[in-house]
Amino acid sequence: MVGPQYDLVGNPLGAVRSTFERAASGGHEPVAAFRGKDWGAGELFRSFLFEQGGLDKVPVLDESNLGLIKPNTLVRFRGMVQDMLGNEFYVGAFKDGSTWRTNKFSDSSPFSMPHPCDSHLWERHLFHCVPVPGQNSWTHESSPGPDVRRMSSCLTSEQREKRKRGAENDAMEVSENCNGEASCTKKPKDDDAQISNSSPEVSMNEEHVPEMNGGDHHIPGSSFSCLVKVYDMAESQVKLNDVAEFIGVYTFDPELASPSDNSDDIMFDLIEDVTAQLPPSKVPRLHCLVWRSLSAHDFLSRSPAVEPSPILLKGIRQSLLSHLTLVLGNDELAAQCLLLHLLSRLRNKVDVVTVGRLSMNFTGFNRESVSVFGNQLNNLIQRLLPYSQTIPLSIEYLNTATLQPRKDNHSGRLVTGVLQLPQGTHLTFDETLLQSGSLTSKGVENTMLLKNLMESQMVEYDFEFYKLEMATDVQLLTLSEGKSNILPSDLIVPFRPSSVPAVNASSEELESWRWYLATVRSFPQSTETETYQTIQDEMVNAMRDDRNLGCSELSRWLTMAQITAASFGETSLSMEHWQMVKELERLRKERLQ
Amino acid sequence: MSTDDVPLSSEAGDEDTPETDGAGAGADATPVFVWGTNISVQDVNAAILRFLRHFRDPRDAGRVDSVMDEGKYMRAIHRILELEGGESLDVDAHDVFDHDPDLYGKMVRYPLEVLAIFDIVLMDLVARIEPLFEKHIQTRIYNLKSSVCLRNLNPSDIEKMVSIKGMIIRCSSVIPELKEAVFRCLVCGFYSEPVMVDRGRVTEPHICQKEQCKATNSMTLVHNRCRFADKQIIKLQETPDEIPEGGTPHTVSVLMHDKLVDAGKPGDRVEITGIYRAMSIRVGPTQRTVKSIFKTYIDCLHIKKTDKSRLHVEDSMDTDNPNANKTTEDDFLTDKIEKLKELSKLPDIYDRLTRSLAPNIWELDDVKRGLLCQLFGGNPLRLPSGASFRGDINILLVGDPGTSKSQLLQYMHKLSPRGIYTSGRGSSAVGLTAYVTKDPETGETVLESGALVLSDKGVCCIDEFDKMSDNARSMLHEVMEQQTVSIAKAGIIASLNARTSVLACANPTESRYNPRLSVIDNIHLPPTLLSRFDLIYLILDKADEQTDRRLAKHIVSLHFDNPNIVELEVLDLATLVAYISYARKHIQPQLSDEAAEELTRGYVEMRKRGNSPGSRKKVITATARQIESLIRLSEALARMRFSQVVEVRDVVEAFRLLEVAMQQSATDHATGTIDMDLIMTGISASERQRRDNLVAATRNLIMEKMQLGGPSMRMIELLEELRKQSSVEVHLHDLRSALGTLMTEGAVVIHGDSVKRV
Repeated sequence: MVGPQYDLVGNPLGAVRSTFERAASGGHEPVAAFRGKDWGAGELFRSFLFEQGGLDKVPVLDESNLGLIKPNTLVRFRGMVQDMLGNEFYVGAFKDGSTWRTNKFSDSSPFSMPHPCDSHLWERHLFHCVPVPGQNSWTHESSPGPDVRRMSSCLTSEQREKRKRGAENDAMEVSENCNGEASCTKKPKDDDAQISNSSPEVSMNEEHVPEMNGGDHHIPGSSFSCLVKVYDMAESQVKLNDVAEFIGVYTFDPELASPSDNSDDIMFDLIEDVTAQLPPSKVPRLHCLVWRSLSAHDFLSRSPAVEPSPILLKGIRQSLLSHLTLVLGNDELAAQCLLLHLLSRLRNKVDVVTVGRLSMNFTGFNRESVSVFGNQLNNLIQRLLPYSQTIPLSIEYLNTATLQPRKDNHSGRLVTGVLQLPQGTHLTFDETLLQSGSLTSKGVENTMLLKNLMESQMVEYDFEFYKLEMATDVQLLTLSEGKSNILPSDLIVPFRPSSVPAVNASSEELESWRWYLATVRSFPQSTETETYQTIQDEMVNAMRDDRNLGCSELSRWLTMAQITAASFGETSLSMEHWQMVKELERLRKERLQ
Repeated sequence: MSTDDVPLSSEAGDEDTPETDGAGAGADATPVFVWGTNISVQDVNAAILRFLRHFRDPRDAGRVDSVMDEGKYMRAIHRILELEGGESLDVDAHDVFDHDPDLYGKMVRYPLEVLAIFDIVLMDLVARIEPLFEKHIQTRIYNLKSSVCLRNLNPSDIEKMVSIKGMIIRCSSVIPELKEAVFRCLVCGFYSEPVMVDRGRVTEPHICQKEQCKATNSMTLVHNRCRFADKQIIKLQETPDEIPEGGTPHTVSVLMHDKLVDAGKPGDRVEITGIYRAMSIRVGPTQRTVKSIFKTYIDCLHIKKTDKSRLHVEDSMDTDNPNANKTTEDDFLTDKIEKLKELSKLPDIYDRLTRSLAPNIWELDDVKRGLLCQLFGGNPLRLPSGASFRGDINILLVGDPGTSKSQLLQYMHKLSPRGIYTSGRGSSAVGLTAYVTKDPETGETVLESGALVLSDKGVCCIDEFDKMSDNARSMLHEVMEQQTVSIAKAGIIASLNARTSVLACANPTESRYNPRLSVIDNIHLPPTLLSRFDLIYLILDKADEQTDRRLAKHIVSLHFDNPNIVELEVLDLATLVAYISYARKHIQPQLSDEAAEELTRGYVEMRKRGNSPGSRKKVITATARQIESLIRLSEALARMRFSQVVEVRDVVEAFRLLEVAMQQSATDHATGTIDMDLIMTGISASERQRRDNLVAATRNLIMEKMQLGGPSMRMIELLEELRKQSSVEVHLHDLRSALGTLMTEGAVVIHGDSVKRV
């Protein structure tokens, strides 16, 4: 789209309105057709952000800079869809005299709306988004925005003045935006972009990013969240617990912020929508212009454009495996199993059978060894995977923790639980803390939830009058003394360390491992029909040798073989990998005896 | 003119449109149009009148009746007048459509206007019949041609009549809404005429109307002489079946008036017909800018509960098992029931159900049939005398490891309405509390939870039954026959209901099943407990390459292909669950005479089979317990067909199932015949015969070799002597038990290792 160059970051709404006015002026009754459609605004921003490299100039909205960013500017927000609050109807377009105006991407119109007037009612979806639970700090380095403090320091005061001017000058403002204001916003921002490009503010970012692993966000309402309003899409495109980046207009309307005292009608109490409980001063509103869902790949600081060739992957695999071995005190078997575990993901689900998951149970831990190896392991996992959490499994925890997400019908919101997790989260349970003791009904409920998660990768959400099962894909690792019967894992590996871990990985290594894990996990799987046959024969032979082999065990072997193949960068499974798994299983069984 | 351009009224609650005021007269020649539409008020007026007067229910067509010359709704109006109670006339929208599709279309698209006319026409009609009738009769439309999914409500539905289904999750308290206000003059005490509330506002009279007074600003509202109407707001939420995967349920507010207040309670599933409305949020009276956001709600016209029974209430007790809830809450909407009934009429429904149960596990078809019977269950019977017979079928699966027993259990647990899945290892069976215990040696942690009480009216799946502690197992006796659990706590013995079917699976003690030993020897379960299982299946892993191959193929296909396409003609889990819950709830089959006869005949025949001509001693092939089992099984089989009568074929199949199960578990391997004693006592008749023979031989030997009161003999010596004589192998423990028998007879005395004749 060609046209006057707006400051898309500083005044996105100006750009939206001007595209609208242009689109509305042409043709006969075009406005009616705009419902649920983009008239070119989204396109403009998309090309600005992704093709012209504008993404780096957009500040990232987070807890630390909330209140610093000036309203009605373009911001980014990365988070998990924690709750879907349904639709909101708003006056999308109205006729002010003879010109059509739009309210899209804003809370209220700066133009006074004549009453009555010709108007169109449009809808938008509301998502309540929170920072991703268990998000590890390294993911923030990947795409730092410009430092807001520097940007806003010269802008906030001016912004306040503009606010006072009120709505009368708005017609002027549009034109002003493209001339005067744009130039003055551009300058500091350009400077800033240069600064952030030359020296990525990793240290600064880390300093201000709250530690996500603490688990504070599970206490409802205590932490930062964002109300995202999404336009022009079917709601089914976004699923609960999806992680996405929303880029849009940050709005803050003090009129809406103050609680309206004049709600004399009791009847409207119940009609009152849930957004009333999310005060704009604490929960920023974001009118989303562009959004994209994020995968593990999007968190890598630099996505190397290298083709994932088997040779390259094999090399990284070797270095990762040797590092894992060192962390696990020279226990190579455990390291190999751990690698497979880290690479597992849910591939398929048929009735009650889940395919592809590989939950693991390291046995032989006690409190002392957990403090040594467990901590090392957790640190490593935190630095390798985008989201991970550690759960200390004690009687007290089971009896008191809120694992199950629950819908509070009174407030109309979904109260999150520990198990509301995005796809691909890694959970480590430390069962060495578990002592004998009695469980309350909540404790029983929690153990059932955990067991269900282990066995079928399902978490049940409580909707008061009924329960809804939500599919998850969570990697589960249990550290325990003996085999855990409360959390029945797929793979039980007795842990036999022979040395004390004392290793540190360089950041380049970590980066390559992250890339490796993300790449291999997203590999598609295919098998030639002949391997298909051979594996069947192999299974029949294995069953003949050992009558105790059951469906679940053979299925696990196949899963492991597939992951092994993928770990070498192969897209198809070959007999060699099958044999490797069989050998691994033999060694593991020796230990079990 | 597009339908999207319906004027948005920002005020809520007003239903009367001034434009239609003249409609009542209807005589004017100039057509009056509803504003912004091409609907002529007169036309609609006439159409409604025609509908009310002349609509006849096609179902009544055949009936000859004195009131037959009147239409359906005329009769309804007469009924309202007679009873003087009803203040509303329920109008089936299907009837409107059948009579006049055009009127139906107008009604749905412009409900505010058309319903106002509807009410006027109705009042006119009433006034003509009964001029003194004063109450206002409202029209309540229900049963629209199509209903909208809650999440699909969108701006184009605003001001339209919609019908949505959902669950009430919250109700406000009843709000009194002022309808008519009465004012009193503070100066002279004059009461004003009632002032009607117009669009939520009352205009207070400025001047006292009394001629003598004429005081200004003296009028005050008199609360207890005003007229109020009830009003309530409820929140409606989507039902679970309408929520797409990965979504959360949507909600909508519904405004209820007058009679509709308190018509539904939280938790009810309802179908609501109403008008979808939007109103702008008033930011404040002083604000110039109008907020652009609209709030939406539904003005309710009619509410219908879709399920009368509130299953979830009973269900809310179930907190232990998260999976169980899914089943009972599945409510049965009429079309769903129809679908299930259609299914039940299929000739191969029995096979189809069998196939649908754990479709990933092959073979074992008879086991699956047995499990199916367990899911459907028989009728519990309580005699007037107080004796009760359980309807639940208990099943034990015994078999080699790796024969997908656990998977079957898992599957059953998913299917059963209140299934509990527990491992024998960690079940205290009766306890209400749950404990975490830690094995001091291995450090393994085990969760011990009371399972049986929690699975009342469901299936309790116990894995690793053989590993259950004796204490817990002994409790099962009571559960499986009396269906109660007794708990002694602080000196009080409480008897709790545990009407549960037990599905247990056990591994043989020697890791693999030894076909030469009896079931009891193989799993070390007390025979008393074993006899309480209706069906005992042996699932043996016969080293069969064919089966192995199939299993391998299945696993491989799970990993590589989409296995969903492979299975055809199989009910999915949800349908199966719905089918079972419906049958359990609504079908109570009774034995037909022929079936009862067949049952007696079959039972007698079974008993006869034990009297084989050659054998000296009677072999018991069936006991009274079996006949109870048979009745339960045949009832379950009838239920599968949704049949209220147990037919002969059900009984025949029940016999077959029992026999298959017995053949596996109660066959005496020495003789190849079925022997119930194997399960009842753990000893087969042939075994008993062998023991008797040994006792006789021992007695003879002692008589022969030893003198009365003479020197004692060592047991080893006796054994050697016996071995010389006997053709069969004799073990020391056999001899010891034989001597024990002799000692009770008083023939010998045993001192440690030596035997003395007395």
